[in-house]
Amino acid sequence: MRRIYAVLAWIVAGGVVVQAASIAFALGGIAHFVQEGGVIDKALVESRQAVFTGELGFPIHGIVGGMVIPAAALLLLILSFFVKYQRTHLRGARLWAGVVFALVALQATLGYSIADMPYLGLIHGANALAVLVAAIHAALRTRPTAAARVARLASPNAVTT
Amino acid sequence: MPSRPDLVRRVSAACALTAAAGLAALAWSSTLLGEYSVMTMGPAGALGRGHAGHDAEAGSGAAAGSTSVTELVADPLRKPDVRIRLVAGSQTIDVPGGHPFQGYTVNGTSPGPTIRARQGDLVEAVFVNESVGAGATLHWHGMDVPNAADGVAGITQDAVPVGGQHTYRFVAEDPGTYWYHSHQLSHEQVERGLLGAVVVEPAVPSPNGGSTEALALLHVYGGQHTLNGRALDEHVPAEPGSTVRIRVINTDQGTASVWSAAPFRVAAIDGREVKAPAVIQDRSVLVPAGGRVDITMQAPAHGAARLNVGGARSIFIGSMTGDEPGARQPSATLDFLAYGSPAPLGFEAASPDRTFDYTIGRRPGVIDGRPGNFWTINGRLYPDAPMFNVRQGDVVLMHLRNESGEVHPMHLHGHHVLVLSRDGIPAKGSPWWIDSLDIHPGESYDVAFVADNPGIWTDHCHTLEHAVDGLVAHVMYEGITTPFTINGRAGNHPE
Repeated sequence: MRRIYAVLAWIVAGGVVVQAASIAFALGGIAHFVQEGGVIDKALVESRQAVFTGELGFPIHGIVGGMVIPAAALLLLILSFFVKYQRTHLRGARLWAGVVFALVALQATLGYSIADMPYLGLIHGANALAVLVAAIHAALRTRPTAAARVARLASPNAVTT
Repeated sequence: MPSRPDLVRRVSAACALTAAAGLAALAWSSTLLGEYSVMTMGPAGALGRGHAGHDAEAGSGAAAGSTSVTELVADPLRKPDVRIRLVAGSQTIDVPGGHPFQGYTVNGTSPGPTIRARQGDLVEAVFVNESVGAGATLHWHGMDVPNAADGVAGITQDAVPVGGQHTYRFVAEDPGTYWYHSHQLSHEQVERGLLGAVVVEPAVPSPNGGSTEALALLHVYGGQHTLNGRALDEHVPAEPGSTVRIRVINTDQGTASVWSAAPFRVAAIDGREVKAPAVIQDRSVLVPAGGRVDITMQAPAHGAARLNVGGARSIFIGSMTGDEPGARQPSATLDFLAYGSPAPLGFEAASPDRTFDYTIGRRPGVIDGRPGNFWTINGRLYPDAPMFNVRQGDVVLMHLRNESGEVHPMHLHGHHVLVLSRDGIPAKGSPWWIDSLDIHPGESYDVAFVADNPGIWTDHCHTLEHAVDGLVAHVMYEGITTPFTINGRAGNHPE
């Protein structure tokens, strides 16, 4: 269970990296396309016939950000109620899964609202780093040494193996 | 060997899983549409509200039918004034200035031939499907034709199979700029070029002028922005000081912008002349998907004026010098709600006989076995969309509201609709008659029309992929039926 918790947390963290890479790829492609005389407008977008390098970055960003990361964050939150270390609940697992889930929910909301309020993009970018840090922190807490330390701190008399 | 309790647990889990899978399969199969008639669409219960407080009959073909859509035709004895044969084919489209594109053509080209008629002419178009495998039709976008000629597969006719033909007959009653396109698998066939322009000349010249004319039909072929089928700009020679009318037709799936550094006017919107249109400067004009605007511009004393049509192409009016400057696209847009001068409406919009809500939303669901994030109308997923039942002669008021996050160019077939207000602000310019209206996220419009063209009329989003994903409803006249079906042996798939 602890391992699955860690894997899910790493999926969220890795997803953030994919998100940053895909959107940079897509925007780089747009810049190149426009530089070469290409025009992007609503007609082109809705035709779904855009053909420029980096175009794939948008669906990747949409699928990973709209489905993969939220699903992983939700599963992480559910799993956090069951993840144990030495038959006791792993301290902080629920808290950090909750933090990750809340940040991801905020991130998705910001992402879907950017077209209406472009300034939200500033928070979207910064919040991505918060998701990354929180997910890595959640993942690292499950390492045996970290879990043992957490357990020791929680119960000074506990015997660890 | 598992213990007995373990065995019981495993068998129980297997039974529970099987039951869950069975229920899921049952739920999924219940969404399959199979062959269906538009007559059976719409939830039971009242939808329209009569002005006297009584509810209109609605849904499930509530009105007892007596007239088939096939009977709603133009005078069959009248000889046509304009007769044209239109042959649809599947072939490579040559895009001058760009690269070839595998699509659909009409008479060997895309856009197909422009149909020109005089106001009052009877147009007869013989449509032949030479090689469009899935079948095809022709819909006369913006023209208030008799219902039998509306060209919607599965509602007003069967899709014309390869080798088949269908004759459309209608009187071109209203002068203006229109277009035709397939309404069979329209999201694919329109995008791939099965379309063309229609121009109806007025019986009496318009006061808005424009002795010289040019078409600006916009379409994206394989990612290439084209103007009249060419990935090139165009030049309209004109004497200095003369007025030129540019008929802009947006056949794409999204809004197009029109702007110029030179002053211009919008002479007509969706085939209806604007009364006393003011000169426009530093404003972009937005043309919804499927919509049209007629722009009038004066050729300058020297050189040529440049009109940007769509994001990528321009039309040059006057004498080219080769040094025509571009113009930065104005961020401010022209508001048709207050453009031009008021004029009599011709009907009493303030006291409607029917009032309907058309609220657009979005939610996950399953349509015809296909899971997705679909558009909803009044909170309901297709095919549970409302049926707007009307009687001939009704004045119909519709509250359009977009609660989704995307723009929707809403298009009602067979009627022109008057915009009364937007977000509660009443229209105060020239009567704003439309057949294609962009509704932006969060916006609401009150629109009205007179139910004066009996039939069953589609009312859908013209970002055609949205119609595939459920953004389609219908206006149905009392006493009208259709023998045609969707998803059946005839292979009708209107969207």
